[in-house]
Amino acid sequence: MARHKGRGLATIEYPTGMNQSGDLTQSWIKLKHDGRVDVLSGTVDIGNGSKTAHRQIVAAALGVPVDWVTVDVSDTDASPWDTGTFASRCTFIGGNAVKIAAERVRERVLEIAGKMLEIDPADLTIEEGVVFARGAPETNISVSDVAHAATWQLGGELISGTGTFVKPFAKILDQETGRIDRDPHAALSYGASVAEIEVDDETGEVRVERFIEAYDIGYAINPTIVEGQIQGGTVMGLGLALLEASYPYYPSPEHRGADFASYMAPSMVDLPQIDFLCLENPSVEGPFGAKACGEMANNGQGPSVAAAIHDAVGVWVTELPLTPERVLRALEKKAAGEDAPRVDGKWVIFDEELSINAVGAPDADVKFTFDPF
Amino acid sequence: MKITVNGAEHELASPPLTSLLNALRDELNVTGPKVGCQGGNCGTCTVLVDGEPRRSCLLPLAMVDGAEVTTIEGLGTPKRMHPMQAAFHFYYGSQCGFCAPGMITASVALLERNPNPTRKQIQNALGGHICRCTGYVKIIDAVEAVARGESFDGAELTRSRGGEATPKGASA
Ligand code: FES
Ligand code: FES
Repeated sequence: MARHKGRGLATIEYPTGMNQSGDLTQSWIKLKHDGRVDVLSGTVDIGNGSKTAHRQIVAAALGVPVDWVTVDVSDTDASPWDTGTFASRCTFIGGNAVKIAAERVRERVLEIAGKMLEIDPADLTIEEGVVFARGAPETNISVSDVAHAATWQLGGELISGTGTFVKPFAKILDQETGRIDRDPHAALSYGASVAEIEVDDETGEVRVERFIEAYDIGYAINPTIVEGQIQGGTVMGLGLALLEASYPYYPSPEHRGADFASYMAPSMVDLPQIDFLCLENPSVEGPFGAKACGEMANNGQGPSVAAAIHDAVGVWVTELPLTPERVLRALEKKAAGEDAPRVDGKWVIFDEELSINAVGAPDADVKFTFDPF
Repeated sequence: MKITVNGAEHELASPPLTSLLNALRDELNVTGPKVGCQGGNCGTCTVLVDGEPRRSCLLPLAMVDGAEVTTIEGLGTPKRMHPMQAAFHFYYGSQCGFCAPGMITASVALLERNPNPTRKQIQNALGGHICRCTGYVKIIDAVEAVARGESFDGAELTRSRGGEATPKGASA
């Protein structure tokens, strides 16, 4: 019996949102008569932090302090449309929607302030809740006063703005070559995961000692939330790598974990050391250059742990989770000389056409025949 | 059956085999403790019974007659948070928040028993509490901060990029 140490690397690429499905978010912002800002958005925060991020985006795009902004996502019946909280789309797609709405509100505030100050709105800007003339900050009026005047003196206007963000479908321009009319994805995030592990060749048990994670996230609107997404994703990825099998005998539902004692999610006791770094390589379309950092944070750990097992004991286990049973079976085969260690992993052919149809393109003409090779 | 919940005494009408969790939530409308698994596996229903952390889903009322129960509501309010609640807030130890009622009550009990736990001891003490969101790191950070005596009185309870509240590119 011996313990073997190993190290493995996996890289990932993650397309932000579900760009090919007409995935849209709408939002509506109203500026109340006291200058405080109400954001109605369909994007529900399930703990991913989008509410906080949207608050910051609106505050920045409008030019008011963050604590003037309230984001209300309490009732999806009354809110504008949002496709849902999934596929790392909230900050990117929802964030763009609130940013566009905030920019419209800003434009209207500048117009009204321009009239009040008798200055061309193009020469005005807003910072920290104050509208002022560029180069002449002594000529100013607060956003609250503008909103108050709009409501009580200038005819009762409710200053508001709506915003929608959608990445339109790509259309085939040339059937022969498969050339399409726009990028199929709005932003691609990149990531890498390194696993340092120990394998017990008698029990087949794998213990992860450390993960080193690196992500290109475009721009971290709220770095603390990004950290939380990466740490949470890494531990979820640890579960997918070693513990969690929702259908152990897929497609048969037999022996499915029925509670947390049989479907094992990682606990604090399993926690490895997690080191990570973020690269900010801004995207063209994301709010303030942001990309996505939710789902991709749990994609790399399965393959990086599998690669580390190969590094440690020379076998490829090509099915997740990497349970002691699977590791031992692979070791047995290797000892019997039956299965030469695979160095090329497992090829998965991605069927673009099937994938596009599966996400429900409404236009039957949309066929994607682009061949990456 | 009588129990005291967060300082208020209650005469309960629920039958004696009702779980404390259901009695708290359904009869007394104290919904801080969450219904996770109802089988003792997740920890989110944890409350303090006479100061000890207990899984309220596993406790029939008959076993807590006369007891003093403290739930997350009894520790503090949004305006006057318990230091552990403030630390979870400050260190971002909660994302969806579903595990927090159990994590926080259990952490308070841990520091009662052991005011200066090592990281390993915190991991072991909270090892039966499942969190799906945070990856646990910031939860441990929060508990350590309270143990160190960090104070959050009047602290600006949001951390953002270099103290700025808004992202760069703020003024167009
Ligand atoms: S609900 Fe009590 S432990 Fe899960
Ligand atoms: S914060 Fe979501 S389960 Fe812990």
